[in-house]
Amino acid sequence: MDVTEAIHGELTKCGVKLAASLPDDWVAPLIQRIAADNSIRHVRVAREAEAVAICSGAFFGGVRAVALMGATGLLTCTGELATLNLRHQIPVFLIVSQRGSIDDHRIYQEVQGRRTIPLLQAYDFPYHVVDRPDEIASIPDAFETCRLQKRPFVLFLTRRLVKGSAA
Amino acid sequence: MRAREAIDVLARHRGDAVAVCALGMAANEWWAATKSEDSFYMHGAMGFAASFALGLALSLPQVPVWLINADGSLCMNLGCLLTEASQAARNLKHFVVDNGVYQTVGGLPMVNEARTDYVAIARGAGFARARSIQELDDLERQLPGIAAEDGPSFTVLRVEPESGFLRTPPMTYEGPEMKYRFGRALERRFGIEVFGPQGY
Repeated sequence: MDVTEAIHGELTKCGVKLAASLPDDWVAPLIQRIAADNSIRHVRVAREAEAVAICSGAFFGGVRAVALMGATGLLTCTGELATLNLRHQIPVFLIVSQRGSIDDHRIYQEVQGRRTIPLLQAYDFPYHVVDRPDEIASIPDAFETCRLQKRPFVLFLTRRLVKGSAA
Repeated sequence: MRAREAIDVLARHRGDAVAVCALGMAANEWWAATKSEDSFYMHGAMGFAASFALGLALSLPQVPVWLINADGSLCMNLGCLLTEASQAARNLKHFVVDNGVYQTVGGLPMVNEARTDYVAIARGAGFARARSIQELDDLERQLPGIAAEDGPSFTVLRVEPESGFLRTPPMTYEGPEMKYRFGRALERRFGIEVFGPQGY
């Protein structure tokens, strides 16, 4: 199974028509695939919090949206997620690489690996980890949960999922 | 010109535009001038009213969207200009109330006060239409043309700083209620579905 094709397909099932992104190398192939889809308006941003606010504005235009970024980028926008999305109860669906996992041997990602989920728990932001290709089908449920809970929802993609177990 | 005077002129010329206001002075003055529910008033995320307005404009391409930004908020997220210019939303107009100070907290000076050329920055980011206006009669004269031209456009409203705190009160309902009033107002005006059948 092509993982990026499968995720793209599930986002299409969700009715996603706008994607705002700033890449890290794990989510870059998915971003490139979405950028090539003419039915989804793709917005490249200069900072991840822009993607959060763009998706929030799209919500009020009745357009389903997704923000794509790396784990480091997620850490940079926690203030905006709190004071825009928590403050106003605006759902925003984020697809984020789960950097700093035990198979991600990058010293500059280790803090993200240790502190990102505790940070989400402190904010009471729901999240869901997709670790295997057969779990990609959970994306529509995750997207609906995001809308229902009216807050940021983080869908993490693991290294095993995006790079394969042999990588 | 003063900020209230400039905002009053914008309010008179807004036509069918939906507005997104940066937090603080811009939001408070727009609320005082319009009392409009089809406007979004940021409570936080300083700097990101611009990105919110862009997402709204891209989602409703037939609807004019006016961003009422402020110089403090613009400087918090100058990268928004790159994104706005690259997306080239024809329905988006970006206004910046520029008084050179952080008015909401008592008029403390902005970084690089009075030496920054926001119009040059916007042009450098890729805006073809960018200008600065500092006289009220000039604003009255130019605004119909600005409202009618294709976006994206960038207009600095150079206003005098007020002394001390600007006491215009904020809107009278808070975050979640404003979300629902704004979303329902857009549903009524444009026949779109913001909230689903169960209300979320």
